[in-house]
Amino acid sequence: MQEILVQLNRVRGVGGSLLVSGEGLTVASALREGLDETQLAATVGEVIDHGQRLCQHLALGAPRQLQAGSEQGSLLLAAAGNGWLVVIVDPAANLALLQLETKPFIERLAQRLSL
Amino acid sequence: MESELERLRKKVENFPSASAYNRLAELVRSSGDDVGAEQACRRCIKEFPRNGQAYVILAEIELGAGRKAEAVKHLLSATERDSRSYTAHNLLAEHYIAERQIDQALAHLRHILTFKANDPAILQRIEQLRPAGADSAVARPAVAPRPPTAAPGITAPARTAQPGTASHAASRLTGLAALCAESGVRGALVADARGRVVTSAGLAPDVEDLLAGLAAEITGAAVRALEAAGTPRLGVWSLTAAQGQIFAFRREGDYTVVALTESGVRPAMLELRARQALHDLGAA
Repeated sequence: MQEILVQLNRVRGVGGSLLVSGEGLTVASALREGLDETQLAATVGEVIDHGQRLCQHLALGAPRQLQAGSEQGSLLLAAAGNGWLVVIVDPAANLALLQLETKPFIERLAQRLSL
Repeated sequence: MESELERLRKKVENFPSASAYNRLAELVRSSGDDVGAEQACRRCIKEFPRNGQAYVILAEIELGAGRKAEAVKHLLSATERDSRSYTAHNLLAEHYIAERQIDQALAHLRHILTFKANDPAILQRIEQLRPAGADSAVARPAVAPRPPTAAPGITAPARTAQPGTASHAASRLTGLAALCAESGVRGALVADARGRVVTSAGLAPDVEDLLAGLAAEITGAAVRALEAAGTPRLGVWSLTAAQGQIFAFRREGDYTVVALTESGVRPAMLELRARQALHDLGAA
């Protein structure tokens, strides 16, 4: 799974990636130096937990994707089987294109997680 | 009862735990010994200062004895240690209602809905408070109580709450109404930084409270996640689910526009409308 993340990081606009469990525990990580993967995984887990509760209460079904953006970049969280792929997105990235390009990686990660 | 009391007394002496102290305090109190229960609570707080339940029991004893100020202080301590303490938030809400601080009361009641959504007692209390809250500086206007709907649908006209003149109110309606007129938008609201609804359109009351409260929690968590990723200053977040989407457009430190939409809605135009709604509100 680590290898898949490393390949994903080569996609233009990706500034790092992480695979976390639904509880916010790191499964695999390919983050740039200086980032605390435990802290990122924990805070992402918190976002996912609140998102799942909101979807449940509003009868929206299972959440598939979460995105949080700032002027300095964004975070893309995509459900990958039992886990969540976290992608750090550069500010200049084409988000729509990036979403398309991450799809095959999400599918591969979901397959691995289901093994 | 007595044997259980003795067992718990021995337990807190030999193998103390917060839960044993709490159970002991409750049992002692139920036997009518408020002084003994208070002592158990204070020992628990001394030995397990992070335990929120002891503060709640202590506050209940103090409320019973008419020591309101101490009780409120301990209830606030309880919510600091356990933000999901139903009893603490509920007792604080009742205290603020008695003090006619309706906005404070509503904040605690709405917070309960973030971890106990659709609680009928809390929803009913919020509905009861709305007319009284109309005079409050930050509470929302009076609305006729409506039964909760099973799914978030388009149910209500836009309504506003923040203090302001009639012309301000009209412009606010225009902002959110324009957002809700976009294709696929089920409803939207403006919430303050604490997750309190400022104005909303197209959402049932129970849905708007829940949406505002949980959206504020997601916003807080997303801010922390972005900081951990080295990209601070959250501006927007979106959540895509099988049967719908939620978009939140935020102005730092102030207000957030939250829109509930059908699946597949594109955010670009919504963001424009949301910014306009914030501008109309005077927040941008």
